Amino acid sequence: MTRLNLNKILLWALFGLCVIWLVIPFTIAILWSLVDPSQPWTPDHLLPPSMSFYRWGYLWAHSSLKIAMFNSYMLAPSVAIVTLTLAMPTAYALGRINFPGKEVVKLLVLLPLVVPGFVTAIFFTAILFQLGLNAWRFGAILFAHSILFLPYAIRIMSVSFETVRQDHIDAARDLGASTFERWKVAYIPALKPGIMATLLIVFIYSIEEFAIAFIVGSPNFTTIPTLLFTNLGANFIRPNAAVISLILVVPNVILMLFLERLLRSANPALSSGKG
Amino acid sequence: MTWRSWLKLGLLLAPGLGLILVFIGSVVYIAIAQSFGLFSLSGESEFSLEYWSRMFERLTYNRAIGYSLYVGFASAFLAVLFAYPLAVWLRRPFPGSLTISAVLKAPLLVHGLVAAFLYVNIISYHGLVNQIMQGLGIWDGPHRLQNDSRAIGVLILQTWKNMPFALLLLVGSVSAISDDVLDAAADLGAGPFARFRRVIAPLSVSATQAALVIVFVGALADFSFQVIAGPVNKQSLSQLMVFFKGYGRWHDAAVVAVTLMGLGIAGSALLALVSRFILRGGRLS
Amino acid sequence: MKAVSVKNASMHFGDFTAVQDVSFDVGEGEFITLLGPSGCGKTTLLKMISGFLQPSSGIIEIGGKDVTHVPPERRDTAMCFQSYALFPHLSVADNLQFGLKQKRLLTAERKQRLQDVATKLDLTAQLDKLPNQLSGGQQQRVALGRALTMRPSVVLFDEPLSNLDAKLRDSVRMEIRKIQRDYNLAAIYVTHDQGEALAMSDRILIMNNGRIEQAGTPHEIYGTPNTSFVADFIGDANILDAEVIGEEGAGRWRLGTQIGELIAASAAPPVAKTLKVCWRPEKAQFGPGTENTITADITHRAFQGNYTDLFVMIASAPQRVQWRDNAVGLADSLTMHIRPEDIIFLEAIA
Repeated sequence: MTRLNLNKILLWALFGLCVIWLVIPFTIAILWSLVDPSQPWTPDHLLPPSMSFYRWGYLWAHSSLKIAMFNSYMLAPSVAIVTLTLAMPTAYALGRINFPGKEVVKLLVLLPLVVPGFVTAIFFTAILFQLGLNAWRFGAILFAHSILFLPYAIRIMSVSFETVRQDHIDAARDLGASTFERWKVAYIPALKPGIMATLLIVFIYSIEEFAIAFIVGSPNFTTIPTLLFTNLGANFIRPNAAVISLILVVPNVILMLFLERLLRSANPALSSGKG
Repeated sequence: MTWRSWLKLGLLLAPGLGLILVFIGSVVYIAIAQSFGLFSLSGESEFSLEYWSRMFERLTYNRAIGYSLYVGFASAFLAVLFAYPLAVWLRRPFPGSLTISAVLKAPLLVHGLVAAFLYVNIISYHGLVNQIMQGLGIWDGPHRLQNDSRAIGVLILQTWKNMPFALLLLVGSVSAISDDVLDAAADLGAGPFARFRRVIAPLSVSATQAALVIVFVGALADFSFQVIAGPVNKQSLSQLMVFFKGYGRWHDAAVVAVTLMGLGIAGSALLALVSRFILRGGRLS
Repeated sequence: MKAVSVKNASMHFGDFTAVQDVSFDVGEGEFITLLGPSGCGKTTLLKMISGFLQPSSGIIEIGGKDVTHVPPERRDTAMCFQSYALFPHLSVADNLQFGLKQKRLLTAERKQRLQDVATKLDLTAQLDKLPNQLSGGQQQRVALGRALTMRPSVVLFDEPLSNLDAKLRDSVRMEIRKIQRDYNLAAIYVTHDQGEALAMSDRILIMNNGRIEQAGTPHEIYGTPNTSFVADFIGDANILDAEVIGEEGAGRWRLGTQIGELIAASAAPPVAKTLKVCWRPEKAQFGPGTENTITADITHRAFQGNYTDLFVMIASAPQRVQWRDNAVGLADSLTMHIRPEDIIFLEAIA
């Protein structure tokens, strides 16, 4: 058997796997979200006997979905901007200054990714209690998220800073550009894709983050993931959980695909990874 | 470097690295301190080993350690086991390979809770798996698959979610091996398996180590998969920690947290050593 | 017995033909060079012999056995890669023994071959080092040694010297040739460097567009190129369009060309009435001769150290001439002649 044929067989096997892997699970979730309460979806039916958008409307009107979405979509952009702002100086140092111990700094920056999320969440809450700040939930989550996602922002931005070409900066200086002009002409064009990518990735991670939002936010501050968690546990109603799952996953997948293209154009070396 | 440039560097690093160190440092410090009875939120703050000694006697704690280690190691092993052959296959682009890696990477984009929900749907009492098995006449009636006692559900979810990540790391390292080196091995008489064992495996040790460690640390600290799809009669360390915290037992939660971090470090070191030993063909140097 | 026989081998990649109907043999102990510009199919041909590519049609024999469908790991060939392709994680000793371990040779035999090759290539002091601790020349020798320990029917070289600097290249060139003779190995050597090919080979196969354009010893190839491609690729040549006016005695012809009427002497007759002919710039004889005396206007001169390149105009046709005597100043024009036997018949003009 030639390698070409082998690849063809493997391709079909993978196509099958893909169906099991992605298509079936999501189709079932979509179908469940469309089940009309007038007729339950019993195992003797291949498709729900009666389909409508009733669940979507009901959850929107009668649950904390609206609040959760508001919280999530307020939180995420704020986190993205704060994280980017905090990351810039360190990224600049890592991308454009040579100093002893740079590799150590690069490793230390990864610390938030190493400590388990629930440990961070619980003992951050402990600190908040010690400081008497435990009522300030939005701010606390914003603060924690901003630091938690700094590693991604610093990594992307320091690579961006590395791609700024010294000869562009030098040429601008040679032609008499002021500091501000120099940034405008040499830095910003090279940094732009990195900035977009950072904002997007932090936005997505903040929307998805569960541990901090769950522990710091409980009991009365809900985000989309914590709402989903409650609906998967004590209040498990399958169609409701399906609706919330889709609300959580669909926008993020679209944003992710967008991000992938952005990263590829910004820096081929980063395109393969999420972070 | 002059003191001025050091000062400038310090100021640049402060908002990024500085905040990270302060934040994570104080979180870890509080966890360790509370595990020894300090920083009490309710009663006396006093150094004591009592929380540790009492915790060691608890059956739930000891079982949670065993269970979390099992989930951590098994997930790391399975994720790398599935990712390795795929990485070798996808080493060089061929028609369709981009689509394949996109499909394989898709779970990275799906939230863990959503993944758990999708999985629970399929294996539910009247779900797809039960229907198919009954339809094929293999099972007489529906089986209860959710929250199975051997945590197979958790392992499936961990593998589904983490395999793409391991794949990403491994593809990077395997495709960095030049075609010439592999051709040279073949030319010198090494068949496909010998090429894998003698060339590919030793040259991708660090990526394998990274993949094993990252998947292990994540799965060891798993909370959501365990709560939704895990066995009812077992608790993971994170679950136990959240449980203690929920009852305001901060010191007990801190003991579990420190255990979790300690096991994470020890387990990672063990995995890194063992994988290096195996992939290098029984040599450590 | 032939070490390697290639019979009517072709290789197509989709619409593109990389190698077309190539046949040749390599005798035992013979050193053959495949020479040609990049993209001429020489590396493809080498990969077909080593087994990394399956020919679209044709047969490859090694040691008299048909190996066309045998995978590379079971072919009795050993290859020296352009990039050296040393295993970065293995010591020099382990690199040298890699193939022997695959063959499951006895330890004693393995050790003996390792010592033998290491001594011959002066690598004894480097055996415990990793490849990245070696200089370029040493890495090259390890790559060569790794192939030699296998004692293969044929060693294949894929431009092995292109990563070395010019000085080192000359010495490694001689070393390769010496070792190849010592072991009496058949060798196929791919290069685009004509100097390397002329200096090393028993026989040169000139390739162009996937075909063998001409095969022969270095002297044959340089002295009597068959086509203007070969004449131009090996050395410098002034190529002219010529018309055969008539035969002037045995083996002598009168030609009409852009630079005037010329007398050519050749063992082989011209292939057609109108054809390409050439002469080498270093064959110009200064001063008038009995035949083919020419006056040339000098348009440009480039000093090359041991000679001067003259760009001249002969009856409005630009030609090149090598002037060996630097000491003599030159006027704006010079008189020279070309001996009839220095004019070479090439291919017909269609």
